[in-house]
Amino acid sequence: MAIIQSFLDTLAQLAQESGFAGFFADGGWKNIIMILISFVFMYLAVAKGFEPLLLLPISFGMLLTNLPFAEMYHPEFWNYVEDFKEDAGTVNSHYIDYQRILEHGGLLDILYMGVKLQVYPPLIFLGIGAMTDFGPLIASPRSFLLGAAAQGGIFFTFVGAAVLGMSAADCASIAIIGGADGPTSIYVSSKLLTANSSNSVGTIALAAYTYMALVPIIQPPIMRLLTTKKERSVVMGQLRPVSRLEKLIFPVLVTLIIALMIPSAAPLVGMLMFGNLLKESGCCDRLVKTAQNELMNIITIFLGVTVGATTQADKVISIAFGKVMLLGVVAFSLGTACGILLGKLMYVATKGKINPLIGSAGVSAVPMAARISQKVGQEEVPTNYLLMHAMGPNVAGVIGSAVAAGVLLAIVK
Amino acid sequence: MATFQTTLAQILSSNIPPDQTDLGAETVASVVITGISVVFIGLIILILLVTLYGKIFESINAKAEAKKKAEAEAEAKLKAAKEAKKEEEKKAAPAAAAPVVEDGVGDEVVAAIMGALSMMYAGTGKKPVLRGVKASKPRRSAWSSAGAVENTRPF
Repeated sequence: MAIIQSFLDTLAQLAQESGFAGFFADGGWKNIIMILISFVFMYLAVAKGFEPLLLLPISFGMLLTNLPFAEMYHPEFWNYVEDFKEDAGTVNSHYIDYQRILEHGGLLDILYMGVKLQVYPPLIFLGIGAMTDFGPLIASPRSFLLGAAAQGGIFFTFVGAAVLGMSAADCASIAIIGGADGPTSIYVSSKLLTANSSNSVGTIALAAYTYMALVPIIQPPIMRLLTTKKERSVVMGQLRPVSRLEKLIFPVLVTLIIALMIPSAAPLVGMLMFGNLLKESGCCDRLVKTAQNELMNIITIFLGVTVGATTQADKVISIAFGKVMLLGVVAFSLGTACGILLGKLMYVATKGKINPLIGSAGVSAVPMAARISQKVGQEEVPTNYLLMHAMGPNVAGVIGSAVAAGVLLAIVK
Repeated sequence: MATFQTTLAQILSSNIPPDQTDLGAETVASVVITGISVVFIGLIILILLVTLYGKIFESINAKAEAKKKAEAEAEAKLKAAKEAKKEEEKKAAPAAAAPVVEDGVGDEVVAAIMGALSMMYAGTGKKPVLRGVKASKPRRSAWSSAGAVENTRPF
């Protein structure tokens, strides 16, 4: 009898300690909803091909973090230690106890340190740089203007977020979604948002990658609305060939100018250009292959799954996340519109030599945004190839969004 | 440049604490204006520098290309002149004389040699010219030839 009683007690204890019991605890229903949401994102990634390389790890991180009692990620570890006194006696109000995380953290806590310490986004930029050809931008430097204009979406969305009464950190983190650059969004939000903020890095990343996947749906109507048939039909001339030496000078020049002008943009721009220099040098094939493939893939897994882990129920099932999604689409649309409008201005200034459609590619999202310019252009003139012309603003947008991130980080701190 | 850097540093150092909520119209406007201006200034500086070095490289490339082109043209001219000279020489040269054939060599022998030569040069684009036919003198004396025949007969 005692054996049976002991057996039943053990079973009851196991049931109480199991994750299933957690679903019936206070607020446990939210975890069920989050797990269901993670299934939706998994479906979108696998079946619909929405940015699968990042959305799938993010959605699985979301699943792991919402499993009751699994304790793979602890949001409380990332709270700033109040009034922490440095050795010199100065008070540091942004101190995170990494020693505690290393000693008591779960797997995702340890991996999340790479996000919080801003290690992963610059490494992703290294891989992007090693894959990017800046030739079209060097051949047509005026493309930089379109890349700059498309960043307007970031700053105008900042206004919208401020009007909704959000904190400066939330405003900057949501606004940067307009840059259509996932690593940059993660970089800014991980630096600015705290556990006390109404949003998390995960919700910002989720919105950014969702909208990046929706570029083919969001951009074309705006492009058609803001341009005339005549403007869309402009066939642009061929770009001049760019020598290897020019391509070698470019990353060094950009690093020097941008990093000296806005030091807070140095990690992103510096690593982007370092990756590009490796590629253009022609003498570091092994490093280039590693940056493009192995390193990029490893970081993508770490980044995706840990960012997904920050999407805890109380952060996603909230009005704040609704605001992120709303402002995110506004930021994206405004960025596209700003690029197109400057493209129209350049069309007038050059007496019809520039097709304004390439302006929308200024919102980073490489190379999807450039492909959209090409596609919409070919709807009017099937033999029109705008792709290489759109790649200029597209890669300029990557630099532009990194600069905009640097500006936001310099102002909000 | 120094004034610009100072102004930029002043703008960028006007910090907003991350937790501040009521940002106010003035603060928001300053973020927007500063942000857009700095992005444009940074990228315009890059446009100027990239355009500048693009022009320098273009002129260097154009010069190198012009030099190459001039060299190629000179070479082509030289080649054309040589060809023309050859043509003239060909035209000026008298019609190929009949081969000098030694007495005792029959017409059939000359025709056979000519036929063999034509076969050898067929497809090479070259035209063989037979200038003369001479009967070679026997290398061995009659006695040594008889000896050689004697010794090699079994084979």
